[in-house]
Amino acid sequence: MIEVDGLTKVYRVPVKKAGLRASLASLFAREHTEVRAVDDVSFRIEPGERVGFLGPNGAGKTTTLKMLTGLLHPTAGRIQVDGFVPQQRKPAFLQRITLVMGQKQQLLWDVPATETFVLNRALYDLDRTAWQQTLDELIALLDLTELLDRPVRNLSLGQRMRCELAAALLHRPSVLFLDEPTIGLDVEAQVWLRRFVRTYNDRHGATIMLTSHDMDDVAAIADRILLIDKGKVRFDGPIAEFRRTFSPGRRIRVTRGGDTLTELGFSADEHGGATIDVPAERVNPLLQAVLERLPSADVTVQDPPLEEVLTKAFGNRDGPGA
Amino acid sequence: MLHVLRALPDMFRVSVAETVAYRAEFVIWMLSATLPLIMLALWSSVASEGPVAGLTQDDVARYYAVTMVVRQFTSMWLVWSFGYEVRTGALSSRLLKPMNPLWRSAVEFLTAIPLRGAVLLPVLAAVVWWRPSLLAWPEPGALLLAVPALVLAWLLHFVVQVCFALLSFWIDRSEGLFMVYFAAFAFLSGYVAPLALFPAWSRPLLDALPFPAMHAVPTELMAGMRTPADALPELLVGTAWLLGLTGLALWLWRAGLRRYGAFGG
Repeated sequence: MIEVDGLTKVYRVPVKKAGLRASLASLFAREHTEVRAVDDVSFRIEPGERVGFLGPNGAGKTTTLKMLTGLLHPTAGRIQVDGFVPQQRKPAFLQRITLVMGQKQQLLWDVPATETFVLNRALYDLDRTAWQQTLDELIALLDLTELLDRPVRNLSLGQRMRCELAAALLHRPSVLFLDEPTIGLDVEAQVWLRRFVRTYNDRHGATIMLTSHDMDDVAAIADRILLIDKGKVRFDGPIAEFRRTFSPGRRIRVTRGGDTLTELGFSADEHGGATIDVPAERVNPLLQAVLERLPSADVTVQDPPLEEVLTKAFGNRDGPGA
Repeated sequence: MLHVLRALPDMFRVSVAETVAYRAEFVIWMLSATLPLIMLALWSSVASEGPVAGLTQDDVARYYAVTMVVRQFTSMWLVWSFGYEVRTGALSSRLLKPMNPLWRSAVEFLTAIPLRGAVLLPVLAAVVWWRPSLLAWPEPGALLLAVPALVLAWLLHFVVQVCFALLSFWIDRSEGLFMVYFAAFAFLSGYVAPLALFPAWSRPLLDALPFPAMHAVPTELMAGMRTPADALPELLVGTAWLLGLTGLALWLWRAGLRRYGAFGG
């Protein structure tokens, strides 16, 4: 479905030094520097896969996403999305993809969302009956009935995102690129959006590529992680393997009697519980020691949160992000 | 192309809804096109002493009344809206649609025409009430040719704005450059002063430019100040410019998309 081979993007960025002399000099001879945003990136995504695209700020994720959708032309390398070369921007290619940007919207601001849906019917040359069927399905799935007649500017961010998703999916794309889709949404709307994306993927088998600052998004939506840093792929595989690679341990958590476990290395919390992260081979002996001390303890063993794994993977350089 | 034709009814419907919603913006744009009223007062006063370059006070008044109509017909704002979208990256979502976004801009400007007309009508009625002699219909031939002349003028304005708008891919403020061009257009097209006021030696040079076809030709045809035979050479020149500028716009579009940075988001 998506094939990327040796993808590279180099930006030529003007250098502007501070000061009057430098400003005047730049009028005549402007200096430039080259920024290698994406550097020889290769990967392959099969139809129907859900991939989380992660990396610290400035890693090259959004640049890659923009090249995959044909908005940016690569400096070098080869991309194929559903058999098309994105930067050729063939109408048949644009009919097959969609890009949802949490920070940018396609909805027309001063008119009800219905007008955007009608406009998209025209722009995508959709058959009226098929369009109506898809719209009815999306209205039901996204619970839009109450929102359809209100100007978009009067909707809340969460309501707008629901309408945005409907506008983005009316043409039934087979590849969904989601760039920070939950940014700014409240917790309820975030959970709801994740569930919707999963449902859409289950129903229509669409391929999904997601970037997000919120690791809960990635954990809820994606099965596979592509980790990019300084323009290069650092990891490509299932989430479980990602956790094992960057944080090979497990987290043991006890809900009460935490203060009696500090001598085993546990950190007690204010609710009376305690937690410890240990390498996998130490889990069993430690569990035994816990149960000897607290025979009726409520103990859970889990993977550390994705957020922490990412922070470990990047140190504290930029924090995890997308 | 068939896709565009099929899309037109829906695009017009949405465009009307948007234009009506942006009432304030609409009125501001209309007010920006009131220069002809000022020029009307100015030249009317000059011509009150006697004909200027063969133009009587009535000729001048009729010319500027029609100028106002033509300008409302050909007024558009692509350089500003497109430049903003390039700088902010808002163009990205429009580029992801399987139809060139300039089609939608064209529909937007065409939609505004009847709505502008509705507002303009009372102003024109007031001008005619003030000077009833203005209501002199031109010959049917001139009136008939005025229709393709207006279409050509609109197309020339659109393609020129497209060219300047596309410069936004290379330079930060193409609007500034456009204003330099607009000053040339205003003086050389007959918008500020009728072309009859220009010295005879300058006319061959003027007639080789696209500007007369962008304003003076449709205006003079409608004002009954030019015969169809006199209009044809400039319409042909205008058509040649239209073809050349369309080629340039297509080249700029392809080259510009390679430069597009898709900022933001």
